[in-house]
Amino acid sequence: MSEYKKISVMARGQKRLYTGFIVVIIVLFVLTSIYTNFNPVILIQNGEAFVEFIVNDFFPPALPKESRIMGVFSSVLVTLALAVSSTTIAAVLAFFVALFGSERVSVFPRFAKVVRGFATFLRNIPALVWAFILFSSLGIGTGVGFIALLISSFAFMVRAFVETMEDVSHDCVESLAAVGATFPQRVAQAILPSCINGFLSWYLYCIEVNIRASTVVGMVGGGGVGLTLFSYIKGFKYDVAFSIILLIAVMVIAVDRITGSLRKEINR
Amino acid sequence: MNKDREEVINSSVVICRGGKIKVTSREKNRFIPAFITAAAVLTIISLWYLDIEWIKLASRIPDVGNVFWKLAHFNFDKLDLILEALIETISIAVLSLIYSLVMGIVFGMLGSRNIIKTKGVAVLVQSLFTFFRAVPTPVWVLLMLVCLGMGPEAGVAGLCVHTTAFFTKSFAQSFEDIPAETLEALESTGTNKLSVFVNAVLPASFSQIIAWTGMRLETNFSECAILGMVGAGGVGFVISRNLQNYDYGTAGLAIFLVFIIAYFIERLFVTIKKRIA
Repeated sequence: MSEYKKISVMARGQKRLYTGFIVVIIVLFVLTSIYTNFNPVILIQNGEAFVEFIVNDFFPPALPKESRIMGVFSSVLVTLALAVSSTTIAAVLAFFVALFGSERVSVFPRFAKVVRGFATFLRNIPALVWAFILFSSLGIGTGVGFIALLISSFAFMVRAFVETMEDVSHDCVESLAAVGATFPQRVAQAILPSCINGFLSWYLYCIEVNIRASTVVGMVGGGGVGLTLFSYIKGFKYDVAFSIILLIAVMVIAVDRITGSLRKEINR
Repeated sequence: MNKDREEVINSSVVICRGGKIKVTSREKNRFIPAFITAAAVLTIISLWYLDIEWIKLASRIPDVGNVFWKLAHFNFDKLDLILEALIETISIAVLSLIYSLVMGIVFGMLGSRNIIKTKGVAVLVQSLFTFFRAVPTPVWVLLMLVCLGMGPEAGVAGLCVHTTAFFTKSFAQSFEDIPAETLEALESTGTNKLSVFVNAVLPASFSQIIAWTGMRLETNFSECAILGMVGAGGVGFVISRNLQNYDYGTAGLAIFLVFIIAYFIERLFVTIKKRIA
């Protein structure tokens, strides 16, 4: 009966990749579990207290005091304004810098690596770390949150813009350069028309990211809805905190929806 | 290529008075100028609403230079402490990634409409995780800190919420991209659902799963590095405490190490992506 042979559905090379991936995952899992002493069983055993805590302290979501409601909404506006303004200004700056970050486009090709390296350095340090560095020199406030968001989204967009330009437009740029177009002409006639869709898509993506990031930067002192949430959690008012979390979720989902439909419109 | 050619055909060549050739394409997206204008107006309104004291900020710029100068003088005295925190951070990032990977595959299966055909399940799963994804990670960690107390557990659990939600969405997308014919062919041979999933769906979306995982590792590490700042442990705590205590040398070294590791992960991910593609 058991004479039949099973046919492997997967290709052999793929199977090896599969196995390798799973082995790496298991090894990493064991190592990190031992190092952090993380035991999911304990977590599940504590689950009852956890659920009780959530049900008793978070539900039902409560409204803040009536005098504070307007404050909460204006803090949401601050968060939105922070994200939009910092992303736009970062995008404008990143556009000009990205022009010098691509060897094919820049007038100083040797300089391109330096520009990209600088952007990599800025990008790989999280926004919140920037916020902390700036808080310790500029003091706490919305302005500092603005600059921290500006730095990280600027660095991200330099990389994204450079990649967009490398993907799309070097034929165009070369042919324009061959007929003697100057650098601003090349930018305006070749790069902008072919890359603007990509640029704007990245810009929208960055707004999505920055809405979340500005909430977080707010939590450590940048103002906005993050700070409001943090103060309610610190004050053990978890039911109010929960409704603010819901508010944040609504805000983020709404922005994601809007940027999603804008992106469709742009790429049409 | 084809698109380019079409554009060339569609664009009219009109010779203007100066003998110059006008090369504007007729097929312009009218939406883009409107969008840019709207973004500019919104930005101006936002800046006005934020009412930032620019002059005060500008007057403190020399301090920024000062702080960076101090940060650049690394202090190696507490290197062992920093390294320990850094390894803890990496462990939390990797561990939460692995847990979420498993949960993401399970929930991604539940959330994709071509695998679970019961109506409503996919919608329910998707909308629940949309909510989880909409709330930023540090908020989840903060809540977990409140629920579970200090320690890596809170970090892992908090990161898991967001990462699982992210994986659920992206995996469900990859699973749904699998052609219905493949699934039907296997189902018609009498293969049961689980076997179809393990033998057809997972291998087909495997390269995408790796790509998403790599991308998420990057994010998870930087998220994890900042978690310390809202009160969980790890390297973020070292950075924020040393900055607050004006011990810039130690903080600078920690920040630099965070940068090195983030950069290393990014490079690794780029190489893996190239090899798969």
